[in-house]
Amino acid sequence: MSRQSHHEVEIDPITGHETTGHDWNGIRELNTPFPRMVIWALSLAFAYSVVAWVLLPAWPLGRDYTRGLLGLDQGRMAVENYRHLEQARADWVVPFASADFASLATNPGLMARAMPAAARLFADNCAACHGVEATGGPGFPSLADGAWLWSADPAAIAETLRYGINSPHTDTRFSQMPAFGRDGLLTREQVAAVADYVLALSSGNADPDSHGAAIFAENCSACHGDAGSGGLGIGAPVLADDHWIYGGTRDDILATLGGGRQGVMPAWEGRLSPAEINMLAIYVSRLNDGGNAGDGR
Amino acid sequence: MIRSLSIPERQVALALSVALALLGLAMAAAARHGAMAVHGAMAMALGLALLFALGGALYDPDAPADRARRYYDEPTRFGIVMTLCWALIGMGVGVWVAALLYWPEATPPWPATSFGRLRPVHTTSVIFGFGGNALIATSFHVLQRTSRARLADAISPWMVLIGFNLFCAWAVTGYLMGSTQSKEYAEAEWYADIWLVVIWVTYFVLYLRTLARRAEPHIYVANWYYMAFILVVAMLHIVNNIALPVSLAGAKSFTIWAGVQDAMVQWWYGHNAVAFFLTAGFLGMLYYFLPVRSGRPIWSYRLSIVSFWGIVFFYIWVGSHHLHYTALPYWVQTLGMTFSVMLLVPSWASAGNAIATLNGAWHKVRDDATLRFMFVAAVFYGLSTFEGSFLAIRPVNSLSHYTDWTVGHVHSGTLGWVAMIIFGAIYTLVPQLWGRETMAWPRAVEWHFWLAVTGTLIYVVSMWNAGITQGLMWRTYDANGALSYSFLQSVQAMAPYYLLRTIGGALFLTGAVICALNCRATMRAASEGATATDRPLAPQPAE
Amino acid sequence: MLRLHYNLEKLSMGLVVGIIVAASIGGAVEIAPLFTIDETVAIPDDLRPQTPLELAGREIFIREGCYACHSQMVRHLADEIDRYGPYSLAAESAYDHPMLWGSKRTGPDLARLGGKYSDAWHVAHLINPRAVAPTSIMPAYPWLTARLDTDILSAELATLALLGVPYSEDMVANAGRDALAQSRPDSDGAANVTERYGETVAIRAFDGDTSRLTEMDALVAYLQSLGTLTRAAYETLGQEAAR
Ligand code: HEC
Ligand code: HEC
Ligand code: HEC
Ligand code: HEM
Ligand code: HEM
Ligand SMILES: [Ca+2]
Ligand SMILES: [Ca+2]
Ligand SMILES: [Cu+2]
Repeated sequence: MSRQSHHEVEIDPITGHETTGHDWNGIRELNTPFPRMVIWALSLAFAYSVVAWVLLPAWPLGRDYTRGLLGLDQGRMAVENYRHLEQARADWVVPFASADFASLATNPGLMARAMPAAARLFADNCAACHGVEATGGPGFPSLADGAWLWSADPAAIAETLRYGINSPHTDTRFSQMPAFGRDGLLTREQVAAVADYVLALSSGNADPDSHGAAIFAENCSACHGDAGSGGLGIGAPVLADDHWIYGGTRDDILATLGGGRQGVMPAWEGRLSPAEINMLAIYVSRLNDGGNAGDGR
Repeated sequence: MIRSLSIPERQVALALSVALALLGLAMAAAARHGAMAVHGAMAMALGLALLFALGGALYDPDAPADRARRYYDEPTRFGIVMTLCWALIGMGVGVWVAALLYWPEATPPWPATSFGRLRPVHTTSVIFGFGGNALIATSFHVLQRTSRARLADAISPWMVLIGFNLFCAWAVTGYLMGSTQSKEYAEAEWYADIWLVVIWVTYFVLYLRTLARRAEPHIYVANWYYMAFILVVAMLHIVNNIALPVSLAGAKSFTIWAGVQDAMVQWWYGHNAVAFFLTAGFLGMLYYFLPVRSGRPIWSYRLSIVSFWGIVFFYIWVGSHHLHYTALPYWVQTLGMTFSVMLLVPSWASAGNAIATLNGAWHKVRDDATLRFMFVAAVFYGLSTFEGSFLAIRPVNSLSHYTDWTVGHVHSGTLGWVAMIIFGAIYTLVPQLWGRETMAWPRAVEWHFWLAVTGTLIYVVSMWNAGITQGLMWRTYDANGALSYSFLQSVQAMAPYYLLRTIGGALFLTGAVICALNCRATMRAASEGATATDRPLAPQPAE
Repeated sequence: MLRLHYNLEKLSMGLVVGIIVAASIGGAVEIAPLFTIDETVAIPDDLRPQTPLELAGREIFIREGCYACHSQMVRHLADEIDRYGPYSLAAESAYDHPMLWGSKRTGPDLARLGGKYSDAWHVAHLINPRAVAPTSIMPAYPWLTARLDTDILSAELATLALLGVPYSEDMVANAGRDALAQSRPDSDGAANVTERYGETVAIRAFDGDTSRLTEMDALVAYLQSLGTLTRAAYETLGQEAAR
């Protein structure tokens, strides 16, 4: 810094302000006075901040902090607001806490308000497995086809929702399709025969005197009903229709017989409220009702 | 490049290259497999390449005898080339990940190219690769010109640039291999973090030593900003990245911070990566190139002082605005919110100071696309800081947080401000440093400008729409008091905006490609050994 | 003031010190008290650390960059409670090095995910999200069927223990074995996992195949553990209401 470059203070012809007299390789600065507006803006922003600091929790004090005159607590506020939401919809939600499904489902006023909510709940919680249109997918049953594993009754559906099927919940519904092939319950040849019989059942031209029919009667009817007619209320699907969970090709059926199946439906108790569960049960029970259940989101 | 070094310097550089190769070898040998081994191999390859290059040219003619009378611009030139390379990589990946959100099936079935791994490749390439190289390259230029002094030595600028680019390359290849700490904008693993500290200290020391040679007793504002950038980034980087490696022979480490404290440290860092990497350094750039290009004095020295200290002081407080309504205590959120509002004043003061500087040069803004880049940058700086302060207000943030509104804000800052000021600086520097009057294709600059502005506007406007739509869909209640929309519906509603964003990004990228080609043509047309024509005030003391 | 600054501008070290001081205050005031104010993190009695398998899954979550699209932080807002469940407590991530609160929700929040879906669904979804959610824009992760590397787990638990995560010596020593056992409900080691980590730990063949321990096992185990490490968040919601 031995060689100081000295520069004259000049007047900038355009703004009329003085330069500071410094020069950095041709760059100059004007000594324009500090704009008042900036002071005002800063004061305004500071005033806003002071108000906020006084009213809200703001400054740490070692092991504590200033709580603010309003005494706000974000956790409490969130819960309060949530309770407000609950209260605002209590008139149509609370009735669903009762399990009187028949009278609920026939109350058009209640249903008109509850079904859109149920549709949203379905879309956020159930659609992942059962599909946006509730038509299911590989491994997840359709809820819109009128073919029920357990029951079409809303009360029974609500129980399924509450506890799940094969879920970790202690009250879960339990159902299992044994692994006839893997566990050696049937021979390869028998499995093939009964698979052909099941295929025939679903297309309506099964031969009741076939080898497969005999194996079926002995091993399968206990769960799937005579000739796969279902309806035993133990979660085993009807096999005499053309609705499939795991697919209806011969290979799919062989896979089911070989390795068994134990689909898991989660339990919703604790995650959804009892009223929400009942609402959904009614919504689901009506899914195959010509689309009356709601807008199917 | 090597010819600019004296023979003893070449020997030092040779020794450093050997050291780098050995370090790489040690890393590769210790780790044996995984990201750290690959990174060791990369370092070794780089060390060996440098070794051969230096060895081959060791006894080439010595550096020009009069070099002390010239500025040392080779590092800046190299930095500009790297800036352009990273721009193409980073923005190319940006357009690609934008497209993936519209068209997810296009993801190839390889782990390395999946969205979650590419996203940090994009952010790191643009922020550190593109932004970082531009900052380092221009800082060397600005430092020398405003000090009227040559860089204090010839080796450390290369250590800084080459080391920094190695860091960037380690970082992005690490993410591709799945090696990441997951801390946003600090994802690189522990050894890369340590490496960066070494590089950064070298950078800082070089800065101070060169400043000590300055001819003008006062330090110019641009250098205050560059210094704040270097110092505060070092502080943030070190604290946020403190981690315990699982083993010294592997990439995996655990941050020492946990939970809520980690969140606060992360966003104290994250926000100030924005503040001191993407803002302070670039304000330094603006403070130099805007007056130079417009030929006007800075409008107000006094305003510069207040905005500088305002920015340095207020920014550090505001990180908690990234954590509104979370498990972070309310009191910290209040501080983050209020300081963000106060921060608007120095931010706008800087933007205003820049725009007022153009008084008397508006005809140049009209005619010169390069100066227009800088003007638009100042405008977007004003816009994005206003938006930022607005988003920092808790109730506003309850809507915007987690949505694409944030992404829109980010790109109004990064495309509109950061990238535009870089392009303005590049178009000023490239002809000058390669000894030419103008860019090779002056008309292409005009094209680039309009592509960049259109691309930015399409990007930002579509993301505002996307974000506000998303935020509203998540919280809209129907007349009965039940949530109206499922999450998936909000995903579906984004499709048109994601498509638009991809188009806007592609336009912006096209502009950047034109810029790179234009620069290449300019560099190629430069006569052999062309250098800048300006000179330091007086010969410098021997190095 | 102006005079003072006029002189400061001539001293590079003066500016350096000025910058360091000005830029340190905010961070110190905001960060340090988070360690000293007790109510910042209230560790509930039932909080458990992640099992080795879950931890391995967490690392896959990080490796794949899932956090780029998924937050794990239900904010203190009524609509988020409504959609996702009780808001997240600081304690829930007290053992997370680093936290994964996220900053973008391209996909839904995952803080309350554990138990929401079945393992089979997660596997199907991760292999190809569009197989179960046709309009999803989440990438597919078919490579997660690769074998899980458990060699490093003991060292990882040991490192975390150094950082204050309550892993006992027993847990550290048996990390690899526990990871395997958690995916094999019928194995001898399964009871040890329960004993070490508690009754609430899910012990299942997460990817449906007990013969191989895969990255899918780990990731699904992790996803199923989200929000289940303590019940405190649910209790807080109840208590707050009672006030
Ligand atoms: C993780 C996937 C999954 C989710 C999420 C899920 N389900 Fe299921 N659900 C299943 C599976 C699998 C079955 C069949 C179980 C079996 O195979 O025995 C099932 C069965 C059912 C049944 C019994 C059908 C019958 O025919 O008796 C009903 C009703 C049902 N689900 C409704 C719902 C509702 C309502 C929701 C949302 C609250 C829901 N499910 C969420 C997987 C799921
Ligand atoms: C212990 C009771 C039980 C017995 C015995 C049983 N099943 Fe099943 N089966 C089930 C249950 C429960 C399911 C549904 C499993 C699920 O959804 O996860 C099922 C599912 C099936 C399916 C798949 C249906 C679909 O929609 O994809 C087929 C096919 C089937 N059983 C055939 C048979 C045949 C053939 C036999 C005899 C060889 C048999 N089952 C014996 C309980 C039984
Ligand atoms: C490109 C963004 C993106 C990435 C990356 C991503 N996801 Fe997703 N994720 C989504 C979207 C969008 C959805 C909603 C649609 C669906 O269910 O697929 C989703 C849904 C989910 C869900 C269902 C959540 C619920 O409550 O319905 C889970 C679980 C999940 N993702 C886990 C992961 C995991 C684990 C990874 C990383 C291995 C990951 N995601 C990576 C976008 C992403
Ligand atoms: C061609 C231009 C660009 C395109 C198309 C683009 C695209 C994208 C996309 C798609 C994302 C991910 C958003 C999401 O996850 O939803 C993103 C994030 C990001 N980009 Fe860019 N980008 C571009 C340029 C830049 C530049 C030049 C910078 C910086 C200088 C930048 C900085 C960032 C940052 C910081 C994020 C993370 C934002 C956040 O986490 O909120 N981008 N970009
Ligand atoms: C006064 C100045 C600014 C303030 C107060 C501010 C404030 C904010 C706020 C409130 C968010 C959203 C946080 C969230 O909800 O998650 C945000 C995000 C962001 N801003 Fe700014 N901003 C400012 C200027 C800028 C500028 C100039 C840039 C870029 C050059 C920028 C880049 C970013 C980035 C990259 C993010 C995304 C962080 C992430 O989530 O990954 N900001 N900012
Ligand atoms: Ca890091
Ligand atoms: Ca982010
Ligand atoms: Cu911020």
